[in-house]
Amino acid sequence: MNTDTPADQYECTARLLSITPDAAIVSNLGVASYVLAGVEDRARNFYQWGSMGSTTPIGLGLALALDDPVTVLDGDGSMVMSLGALATVADQNPPNLTVVVWDNGQYGTTGGQPSASRTVDFAAVARDVGLAATHVSTTDDFEAAYADAVASDEATVVVCDVEPVDPDERPPFDFAHIKWRFRDAVAPSE
Amino acid sequence: MAWEADVLSVLKENSISLVVYLPDTALGGIIEAVEDDDWFTAVNVAREEEAIGVLSGGWLGHQRGALLVQSSGLANTLNAIGSLSKPARIPFLGLVSRRGDLGEFNLAQVPFGYNMPALLDTMGIRNHSLAETDTVARDVDMAAKSAFSTEEPYVVMLESTLIGAKDEY
Repeated sequence: MNTDTPADQYECTARLLSITPDAAIVSNLGVASYVLAGVEDRARNFYQWGSMGSTTPIGLGLALALDDPVTVLDGDGSMVMSLGALATVADQNPPNLTVVVWDNGQYGTTGGQPSASRTVDFAAVARDVGLAATHVSTTDDFEAAYADAVASDEATVVVCDVEPVDPDERPPFDFAHIKWRFRDAVAPSE
Repeated sequence: MAWEADVLSVLKENSISLVVYLPDTALGGIIEAVEDDDWFTAVNVAREEEAIGVLSGGWLGHQRGALLVQSSGLANTLNAIGSLSKPARIPFLGLVSRRGDLGEFNLAQVPFGYNMPALLDTMGIRNHSLAETDTVARDVDMAAKSAFSTEEPYVVMLESTLIGAKDEY
């Protein structure tokens, strides 16, 4: 049992991979990608090294192109930058898309400055634009909410409050290599 | 609808089935046709920078895509193009209605619109101005083939001499 608040991003990421070992995953630049690479550097991970605010749109494009489950690991800073993208996701509503927002309340890779997430209820915003959304604060609750989101027949947002971490791990730096590795690992839908 | 029909044919011939756009009068004929044709996946984004993400996700999922926006909207995409499309070598075909040059009445369209080819050149994003209707099919086809064979974006500027200048003098 892990009912500590806020949740442990490493443990949540590990459990997420156990629930959807074959998911195509797009991770936000910075902490989300560092933690994912630290838990498991897999071919179906597409890490961001830039393009802040584009993580959820990339996941949308992937979900429209693939039949496989697609999971976005976004961050609160990136999501604040691209709240409008949730409206686009709602408009398309691909059933195979799950958007996880790791909310550590700060810009983790620029020095930990507080983000506007203190005053933003991401799950409420998502619901207001027409998406299914849940907000959890413990590792166990995240595991259950993520499993439900993946099983649902609509695009779903899972907002998870997490303890800030400062990972040492880094994903591969070569953008084109990550792209090729990812594309080779996923098959196009029929 | 003549040149717009040429563009639609080129998109299909090049297997470009994902079309990501923001509404635009000059591109409206293409966008309506794409929305009405189930062969295409059409995505109307809230802001143009999202489009680079959606197109990149599509490419990662083996789907070719085109971006349909105004030059002012292309200005909204520059960070995503510079920090994702370019370094990861993720292609798309850009079809951009260019404001800010011949016949432009609105100064707000000038700094990015008039200078967009130079801005793209500075970023290393290839681009081509299309000013006449009779070369639309040939040039858009060649741009698409170049984008997807080299795996980098290619932007075609649809000039006011082709699409018409907005007349609000």
